[in-house]
Amino acid sequence: MGAPRSRSPRLEVPSYMQCSTRRMGIMTDVHRRFLQLLMTHGVLEEQAVKRLQKHCYKVHDRNAAVEKLEDFINNINSVLESLYIEVKKGVTEDDGRPVYALVNLATTSISKMASDFAENELDLFRKALELIIDSESGFASSTNILNLVDQLKGKKMRKKEAEQVLQKFVQNKWLIEKEGEFTLHSRAILEMEQYIRETYPDSVKMCNICHSLLIQGQSCETCGIRMHLPCVAKYFQSNSEPRCPHCNDYWPHEIPEIFNPEKEREAGISTSNKKSLRSRQH
Amino acid sequence: MPRGHKSKLRAREKRRQARGETQCLRGAQATAAKEEGSPSSSSLVLETTPQSLPAAGSDERATKQDEESPGTSQASSTTDRSRKTPLDQKAILLVQFLLRKYNMKETITKEDMLKYVIKKHKDHFHEILRRASELMVLAFGIDVKEVDTTRHCYVLISKLQRTRDERMSGEIMPKTGLLMTVLCVIFMKGNCAAEEDIWEVLNVMGIYAGRKHFMYGEPRKLITKDLVQEKYLEYRQVPNSDPPRYEFLWGPRARAETSKMKVLEFLAKIHDTTPNAFPSWYEEALRDEEERARARFAALARTNAIASARIRVSSSYFHP
Repeated sequence: MGAPRSRSPRLEVPSYMQCSTRRMGIMTDVHRRFLQLLMTHGVLEEQAVKRLQKHCYKVHDRNAAVEKLEDFINNINSVLESLYIEVKKGVTEDDGRPVYALVNLATTSISKMASDFAENELDLFRKALELIIDSESGFASSTNILNLVDQLKGKKMRKKEAEQVLQKFVQNKWLIEKEGEFTLHSRAILEMEQYIRETYPDSVKMCNICHSLLIQGQSCETCGIRMHLPCVAKYFQSNSEPRCPHCNDYWPHEIPEIFNPEKEREAGISTSNKKSLRSRQH
Repeated sequence: MPRGHKSKLRAREKRRQARGETQCLRGAQATAAKEEGSPSSSSLVLETTPQSLPAAGSDERATKQDEESPGTSQASSTTDRSRKTPLDQKAILLVQFLLRKYNMKETITKEDMLKYVIKKHKDHFHEILRRASELMVLAFGIDVKEVDTTRHCYVLISKLQRTRDERMSGEIMPKTGLLMTVLCVIFMKGNCAAEEDIWEVLNVMGIYAGRKHFMYGEPRKLITKDLVQEKYLEYRQVPNSDPPRYEFLWGPRARAETSKMKVLEFLAKIHDTTPNAFPSWYEEALRDEEERARARFAALARTNAIASARIRVSSSYFHP
């Protein structure tokens, strides 16, 4: 792993610590500011994270070279590891954008949200979560969730209140709403994946390609395997006859486009460029 | 001559003790160095050797059974966990708890901390809080300060000064800060605002088209494309305008997720006043609230009507 940075003038590591087999990261105000701002946002897309990193360098350490994001985050995580917290990278299920969030690695139950929400609110979330996991599309309709309002633990909640609570979940980035239906926000997936896999081992769906939790995705109509939309896009990239990786039947769905950060940047410059790129892709 | 067994054991014991003390010392040294003005760096040490200690194990098993432990068997190696004392584990849980509260910007009571985290270790509250506070400073640059000594309320304050850019980004949902401002301008201009009006306001806030902001990226793309795509805003050409001019309206998602009243409250907060300080907008916001309430009740009534119709149908089936 290499010697710990004990020779850096800014940190004195006594000799007995050098016997650690784990590399110790070094935390500076650059990293602390980064973490504070990342926490404030809850979850951030990769481009915003890079800008955030540059901003933190600018504030605290103008002359230092901005470390590669991956190394920067690994450094932070090596320090936070002992707190069972990490900056985790995920991918949005609908359009494959890389996102980052500060997550708690402990798979304690949903009750870790307990201090933020009332008992009946937590139970509403739990019910919504179950409906989402059981659904075929990964979405649970507002009506179906609200119909369970009578079964909630704790203080009786009316449907009107429940609507507000669901909005609170959306605002706090636990749920996403699309046309009256709810699914899990990428932040919730990042934070709760392990909890969900352990609590609902029978109903949970997994992606055949990346082997992580799947809420939204496409499925093979013959053998039933599922894939995330971005995983489908990557797997079938420039393949004119997409076939199921498991049973080899024709893949019945439209292949989505891969999220390409380069394309996003060019789109900002001129819309005509974007059109020509798209026609080139397929 | 190679060292004897006893000498090695004694040295190991001494190292272990010293390490226990320097856990806190590390933090003190680091903050001291920081105070001197040099860019500080500090390492977060809770345990360093992979060796496991059977003595701590039994204690740990007891706490694991009836209370949460901060880590999982999958996330961390068991050797790490057996090195941490129960108080260390509680301190870690408390850090996780406090971090959530930082995001919600709420004060934290001793009562809550005892109820949700400390539980049966309440006699060690001060020690656990002290260790957790140290970790918060070292890892996140956040201070845990007691603001009410009678009711034991605490707040979390960043030790790092907010820069102008960061303050602009708003509170919990920064994009919301910019979005709320735009929605506000649209509302104030009679629910439809010319693009020039929007930029006038944003420029005052230091946000300019074409100039990348550390948080928002390029602002023009954000408001004319990203927020439009997410259905928060509508961006359209002013009809019959030549050369083409553009205007903004609220998008369907903005109408669903917020309200004129909420936007007015946002404006009032900025000006340190209340919504009724803007009488005409306040009236309009009130009318909007009434309309929403009526729509909600109508929807509920429809659901109830359908539900009771079903019951009537099924009951008539059994009692013809």
